[in-house]
Amino acid sequence: MRRDDVRFAAAARDDGIHKISKFTWRAGAAGVVCSALIAVAFGHHVATNQSSTGNNGGSSHSQQPASGNNGGGSNQGSSGQGSSNQGSSNQGSGGIVVPAQPPASSQGGGQVTSGAS
Amino acid sequence: MTALAVGTDSFSVFGTTATLLVSDPGLLDDARAIADAELAAVDMACSRFRPDSELSRLNGSGGAVVPVSSLFAELVEAALRAARLTDGDVDPTCGQALEEIGYDRDFAVLQAAGARSPLSAPVTLGVPGWRCVRLDRKRGLVQLTDGAQLDLGATAKAWAADRCASLIAAATESGVLVSLGGDIAVAGPPPADGGEGRGGGWGVRVTDDHAAGPEAPGQTVTIRSGGLATSSTTVRTWAVAGQRVHHIINPATGRPAVSCWRTVSVTAGSCVDANTASTAAIIRSEAALAWLQEACLPSRLVRQDGTVETTAGWPSDPGPA
Repeated sequence: MRRDDVRFAAAARDDGIHKISKFTWRAGAAGVVCSALIAVAFGHHVATNQSSTGNNGGSSHSQQPASGNNGGGSNQGSSGQGSSNQGSSNQGSGGIVVPAQPPASSQGGGQVTSGAS
Repeated sequence: MTALAVGTDSFSVFGTTATLLVSDPGLLDDARAIADAELAAVDMACSRFRPDSELSRLNGSGGAVVPVSSLFAELVEAALRAARLTDGDVDPTCGQALEEIGYDRDFAVLQAAGARSPLSAPVTLGVPGWRCVRLDRKRGLVQLTDGAQLDLGATAKAWAADRCASLIAAATESGVLVSLGGDIAVAGPPPADGGEGRGGGWGVRVTDDHAAGPEAPGQTVTIRSGGLATSSTTVRTWAVAGQRVHHIINPATGRPAVSCWRTVSVTAGSCVDANTASTAAIIRSEAALAWLQEACLPSRLVRQDGTVETTAGWPSDPGPA
């Protein structure tokens, strides 16, 4: 192979690598910009859903009141739920908070009365 | 053993009796002023019987988005949280169901009015459901599906007890107990000695009716923090065509819950959580026993015949209620 041809091939190779590298960098930068835009555009939805349901860990359940995707209004909120209620999700974050200590047995009549009103 | 002096005050609010105990009697007036202001604000926000309340405005909004105060938003949030934690058994959209069974005015007025007309068949089976309430805390907006009626009675009273107790404790640095119709919240350092063998803590007589005296059938316990609430089908009842009905609505039917329990008392980390659990237990009937046990909530459940069951460390009961 002639020396000029080798130089030409090497130059063409370097030029190709340069173009590919340039394209890769641009694509990466575009990806970063797009990710940032998406985060800005939808970030407030996460904040809204968390705030609308209290500090309960932001599980998938916690988005229900804010999103209101069952607004048809028949009886989605209650139908069929009474029997599937073993409370397994009520422990840990977002569940009914257990008392620091159980009540203690006592004598006498009590300072106040707890009953229905 | 002599009980240490505790400041005590009782007054009427929300159609029931409030009791305020402060471990430093000299701070009772300050505590009462805080409680009065908070309770008035809660009543203004969520009374179903005040046409000028935020709740009435929302119920009449016809499905529109309604700007609300941060207080009202907190109350709605508490109600939705209770619904979520109980899989919808404690549902705030039971306003229409309560009206259908005659509970459309202040309870004292309702009782004075006597028997109501017969129960009509429910328009729809069940209540609209808590998912038809949309809340945006950040913007202070609430939207309620057209036709649904919100009632915050199940949680607002307990939430207000928590709120008053924490505000009073923070302002006075005194131990405080707030009871709103038997929904009890305590905050601050508990009394070192309640007297009568109570040891430290607040002595509470647990019974069917909060208005009963301290010697009413039941059990006395002490609590040191959090809340204690009792739900019952024996109080806040009225006659409809010769039939006694009560105010705890089963969301699945839209009618008063039919339960094997007449009274359920629960302690929890807060009064609103205790009330959520006690109300759900009435609705869940027999299944509530295992649910409360698994949730580690100390509870006392009284069957219709007076037999008592307890869960999760509630002290043993000396006998039938």
